[in-house]
Amino acid sequence: MREETAPSEPGTAPSERDRHSDALEAIASRKCRKSFTDLFEFFAPRIKSYLMRLGSDDIQAEELAQEVMITVWRKAEQFDRRQASPSTWIFRIARNRRIDAFRRQKPLDVEADEPALSPAALPTPEDSYEAVEIEAKVQSALLELPAEQKKLVKAAFFDGLSHVEIAMRFKLPLGTVKSRIRLAFQRLRTSLDDDDIP
Amino acid sequence: MSEEHNLGEEFYSAYAAGTLDPALELLVETQAALRADVRHELMTANAVGGHFLRNETPAPMSFRATERALEKIDALEASPDRMLAAAKLATKMVDELIRLPEPLQERALQCSVNSSWKFAGKGLRILDMDISPSVSAELLRIEPGCGAPTHTHAGMEYTLVVSGGFTDEYGSYGPGDIAVVGPDHMHRPIADEGEVCFALAVRDGDLKFQGLLGVLQKFFG
Repeated sequence: MREETAPSEPGTAPSERDRHSDALEAIASRKCRKSFTDLFEFFAPRIKSYLMRLGSDDIQAEELAQEVMITVWRKAEQFDRRQASPSTWIFRIARNRRIDAFRRQKPLDVEADEPALSPAALPTPEDSYEAVEIEAKVQSALLELPAEQKKLVKAAFFDGLSHVEIAMRFKLPLGTVKSRIRLAFQRLRTSLDDDDIP
Repeated sequence: MSEEHNLGEEFYSAYAAGTLDPALELLVETQAALRADVRHELMTANAVGGHFLRNETPAPMSFRATERALEKIDALEASPDRMLAAAKLATKMVDELIRLPEPLQERALQCSVNSSWKFAGKGLRILDMDISPSVSAELLRIEPGCGAPTHTHAGMEYTLVVSGGFTDEYGSYGPGDIAVVGPDHMHRPIADEGEVCFALAVRDGDLKFQGLLGVLQKFFG
C-alpha cells in the first residue's frame, strides 16, 4: 500500500486541524472562551460567506453564522477528533442550520439533536481509524484534482447543485457533467482504499 | 459491492450539501448504518464539504460579532432550562458516585469536589484520584459503546471494573474483575452496552497511544 502524507499547503496543515480540535476539546472540557473566540474568528466569516453564496442576504447569513457557532459551543462534547476534522464537523452543523432555516423554517433549538451527529451518520468505532485517513486522503486528492473537475465537485458537494443545474450553469452537456463528477469522486474514493484497486 | 446496489454520487453530493429530500436522506443514512462502503462514501462527501468550507473566502462579520455570540451563550447558559439540566447532570454524577463501594466512594467524592472530571473523548470522563506521587490512579466513567483509544504503556496497568463492564482485545471484564495489561501490550477497552462503566485504573508508567495523533495522551499522562 502506498502511503500518502497529508498535504502541507497553507490552510490545510495538520497543525491547523490540531489547533481547532484542541479548541473544541477546551470548550467541551472547560467552556474555554478564548478557544471559542479563535474558532469563531476563523469559521464564522467562512460560514457567512458560504451562506451568502447560497442566497442569504448579509443579515440572514450573519445571524445563521452566529447560530452555527453557538451550536458549536453547545455540541462541542460530541466532537471526536478521531472521527472528523473540525472543518468537516462544523460544515455538517452549518449545513443542518441552513436546512432548518431555508427548508423547514424552524426556530433555533440549541438542545435539539443534530441529525448529522447522530450515530447513523457517524462512523462506527471500528471505522474511526479510517475516518482520519479518509479526511487526510480526501484533502490530498482534492488538491491534485484538475481545476475543471474541482469546480464541478464544489458545485455539487458544497453548493448543492444537481447535475442538471451544474450543466446549465457551466454550459456543459449533462453527460459531460455526470462523467466528470463521477471521475472526480472516484479519485477521492479510490484514494480511500488503495488496496482495492484492481 | 457492485454499483447498482448503491445510489450514486449525485445522492451523496446532495446529502453532503443538504439539498437531499428528507425521505431520501433517511434512506441514505439508514443504508450507511448498515453498510461500511456507503459510510465511506458519505464520510468522503462530508470531508469534501469540510475542505471547501475551510477554503471559503471569509466574509467580514459585523462589529463585535464574537462578543455578541458569547453574550448569547451566556444568556442560554443562564436560562432556567439550562441550569436545570446542569443541576440534573450534577445530581446524576453524585448519584453515580454514591453507588460506588467504599473506600472508593469517599475518595471519589472528595476528588470530585477538589478537581473536576476531565472530558477525555466521546463518552469518556476521567477523575484523577490524586492519591500517590508515583503511581497514577484514575476513576474512569465510560458510556456504553465508548472507550479509550488504543494504547500501550511503559509500565503495568491494572483496571478494576467497579460497575458495568468493558471488553478489550484480551477479554470481557465485569464488576470485580481486574484487567492486567503489561508493558508494550496494545489494547482498546470499550464499555459494554447496557450501563455506564466505572473502572479504577492504576498504572505505573506513561501511556503511549497508537494510531492516533497522540493528542489524547495529555489526558492520561
